[in-house]
Amino acid sequence: MKILVAVKQVPERDAQIHVAADGKWIDEDDLSYTINEPDAYALEEALQLKEKNGGEVVVVCAGPERVTSTLREALAKGADRAIHIEADDLGERDTLGVARMLAEAVKGESPDLILTGLQSDDLGLGQTGVVLAELLGIPHATIIMQVEKTDLGLRVKRELEDGWFQHVEMPFPALLTIQSGGNKLRYATLMGIKKAKTKETATFSASAAGAKAVSLEKVYLPEKQKRTEMLTGTPAEIAAKLVEKLKFDVRVL
Amino acid sequence: MLDVSVVASAAMGMAARPGTLAVFTGLHLSGTLAEPAGFTGIEIGLLVACVLASGGLFFWRFAPILRNIFRSKKDNDFTLHPLGRRVWDFFWEVLCQAKVIRQRPLPGIAHAFVFWGFLAFALVSLNHFANGMRLGFLAPDGSVGRFYFGFAAVWALLVAVSIAGLFVRRFFVRPIWLGTKVSYESGFIAFLIFTLMVTYLAAFFVEDGGAAVKSLWWTHTLALLMFLPLIPHTKHLHLVLSPLTVFLKRDGFSKIPPLSGDEDFGLVAGKDITQLISLQAYSCVECGRCTEHCPASITGKVLNPKEIILGMRSYLNELGPASEVALLAEARPETTFGTTMSMEAAFECTTCGSCEYQCPVGIQHVPILVGLRRGATNTGAWEDTYGTKLFLALEKNGNALGLSSSERDKFVTKTGLPIFDGTQEYCLWLGCMGGYDPKGREIIADFARVMDYLGTTFGVLKKEKCTGDPARRLGNDLVFQTMAEFGLKALETAKVQKIVAICPHCVRTISNDWREYGIAPEIEHHSEFMARHKDRLPKQQSDESIVYHDPCYLGRYRDVYEEPREIVALAGTLVEAPRSREKSFCCGAGGGLAFLGEETGERVSHVRAAELAGTGAQVVGTACPFCNTMFRDALSEMETKPQLLDIAQLTARAITTVGSGAL
Repeated sequence: MKILVAVKQVPERDAQIHVAADGKWIDEDDLSYTINEPDAYALEEALQLKEKNGGEVVVVCAGPERVTSTLREALAKGADRAIHIEADDLGERDTLGVARMLAEAVKGESPDLILTGLQSDDLGLGQTGVVLAELLGIPHATIIMQVEKTDLGLRVKRELEDGWFQHVEMPFPALLTIQSGGNKLRYATLMGIKKAKTKETATFSASAAGAKAVSLEKVYLPEKQKRTEMLTGTPAEIAAKLVEKLKFDVRVL
Repeated sequence: MLDVSVVASAAMGMAARPGTLAVFTGLHLSGTLAEPAGFTGIEIGLLVACVLASGGLFFWRFAPILRNIFRSKKDNDFTLHPLGRRVWDFFWEVLCQAKVIRQRPLPGIAHAFVFWGFLAFALVSLNHFANGMRLGFLAPDGSVGRFYFGFAAVWALLVAVSIAGLFVRRFFVRPIWLGTKVSYESGFIAFLIFTLMVTYLAAFFVEDGGAAVKSLWWTHTLALLMFLPLIPHTKHLHLVLSPLTVFLKRDGFSKIPPLSGDEDFGLVAGKDITQLISLQAYSCVECGRCTEHCPASITGKVLNPKEIILGMRSYLNELGPASEVALLAEARPETTFGTTMSMEAAFECTTCGSCEYQCPVGIQHVPILVGLRRGATNTGAWEDTYGTKLFLALEKNGNALGLSSSERDKFVTKTGLPIFDGTQEYCLWLGCMGGYDPKGREIIADFARVMDYLGTTFGVLKKEKCTGDPARRLGNDLVFQTMAEFGLKALETAKVQKIVAICPHCVRTISNDWREYGIAPEIEHHSEFMARHKDRLPKQQSDESIVYHDPCYLGRYRDVYEEPREIVALAGTLVEAPRSREKSFCCGAGGGLAFLGEETGERVSHVRAAELAGTGAQVVGTACPFCNTMFRDALSEMETKPQLLDIAQLTARAITTVGSGAL
């Protein structure tokens, strides 16, 4: 089974994000990057499937030079090959643009299974995987907790709301977007890092198609807003007002 | 022939009048050693044959051992430097038997007598065999001979008494540390040694050249020749190897050697066993001091350091030093080493270093145990939920507690700790506990107040990651290297000259383990810093009793015993725990174990906390935030519990004035 894992490199979770001087992107100088967390779980799922069923795991990542560290880490954890799509303009591409790059890069691979994280920790759009499946003309399933290979193809467990799950059977080839926490992640080992040195990383230039789809006007940090409204009245009245606000203003009930 | 010589009677403590000694008819003590005369050609031939057989048998057994040692991997980091220390250790630990005596006084002195007796006997034995070939060079009635044989007789008596005592200890007292299996070979060897001494002494009571002396001579000879081939495959091999082992042991306490090359991941299989480890494994005398002092063994865990060393030896004997068979695996009862050399056992070690400190034959257990862990972790063979979580936390968050690094920033801002900007004298290293743990933070805040009171300028690094200590001890070289390189760069960028830390683990790792990747600025523990300024610290008018707990990484690892005691003495009355200083008992946190799951058996921390509380002291004084956190947990379950304070807190409580204003 040939499994392709599309991963993204994102700023570390506790990174202090600053807007760059031109106001059009974040200041990348002082940032540390890491693998997008759901993608780490996608990689883990791929590695476990390979351990169970044999095959090959190819990891693909788009971005500037720095993303090679994430690819190396994936190779160290057990991926067999890596594809680096050289692209400096991810901020100016929408999900369709990114998916097109990925589709083009993996065309020659014809994998049985493509895994991605369900969404990215930085932009959180959650569309890239789905659009990629569409571009490749293969079926997809999202928010996957468990993957099992069957005689006919795949049986996957999707997470629904309210603690409900859905089990879906699907044929190969397919694309799945993986939810975090389904497996236990492995740690990178010294042996893995040493082995990764001998593994191949192919580079691939991003096509112009899909570039400049987005014109960045301004990037800014969310403004901290604190609106405090004092509710007055008897406890019963306050409670009623509060419920109304939670229902219709905040819409959490 | 003189009846009684002054030398013999005085030295042997025997009565000076000959009459009183003639207890048995025909026996009388002469001042000189009786020697057989007239060795026939047949006798000489027989002797040569016996010597050759004995020596041949010895080498037949010893050669495979030597081969295993020589064919083991070279220790790429080995140097004879520092020679002075090696010569001193040889003198002190081998010749003076200091460690043997100090750690187990009574059997220790008995052993020392046997050892010194053997040394004294070297010349006697040489002359003994020379005699048998008609080549004797030391005449018993010459002045040198008279003195030397008398001198040796004193030792013979001491050896005979000592070996009998040790025999009684091994077979009747039977301390559990010697092992549950009775070693009949040891008993036989003790009997041979006893025979050697008795036959030597008896030669003072018989006539020169008679049949009696001849039979004594042959008994002595055969006992010695029987002893020789028994050496290589028993613990008595330490007679041959341990002086060398003590001399050659790796410099530095618990020093973890660097990995060599791209194929080295630690002790994965036989091929990774180095010559020093081989030598140490074959030198083990099976005394069990390591196990007796091992916090894991004592609290009922699988780990038994002696069995780890003997396991290495069995592995070498059975599979050789080129084997690819994994050293660690799940229990493999089909092999002799498989039951003791398990993954579980290796990961129960707290790296407290008691075993290594105690070992009288120069075995360095901690690098071996950490080596086994490296082999398992660096290759991914060790699968442990907590361990993986710890490594991922270090990879991602840069601290062992797995908290966001912004939590440290918040603490630094809230406490008003100055950021190191190159103008201050000290960089105050927070460490994971000082930066993220609530109790550790209290210690840092209090120590900052002490520094402030003393007018010492300091600052903390803007960004600091774990030193990599838990990763290092759990055998994860990848994470350790990442952490060490980050730390070295951060300190260099900030132009730090001097560091002070509250955590002995940070101090050890930065000053010692980081050397693999670069030289860090000078670092000291806050106990050392405060002790240097003790004259300017307030002396508290308190008779509160404070029991001080020696942290392993400050005591055995760094030889700092007095400084924290001086600080404790300023704050109250120092009380010593039953096990203290170099014999201090671990809190259970070291070696990364603070971050692993629940222990099997008794909790190490509970055993130690009960011991500390049992002294009746009002306060338990600690000098390590890990010990502190372990005892906090253990003491919380006691009904009447002493207060728990770090030495920085003990000092800071007397400081009421606000200092220069950094805080």
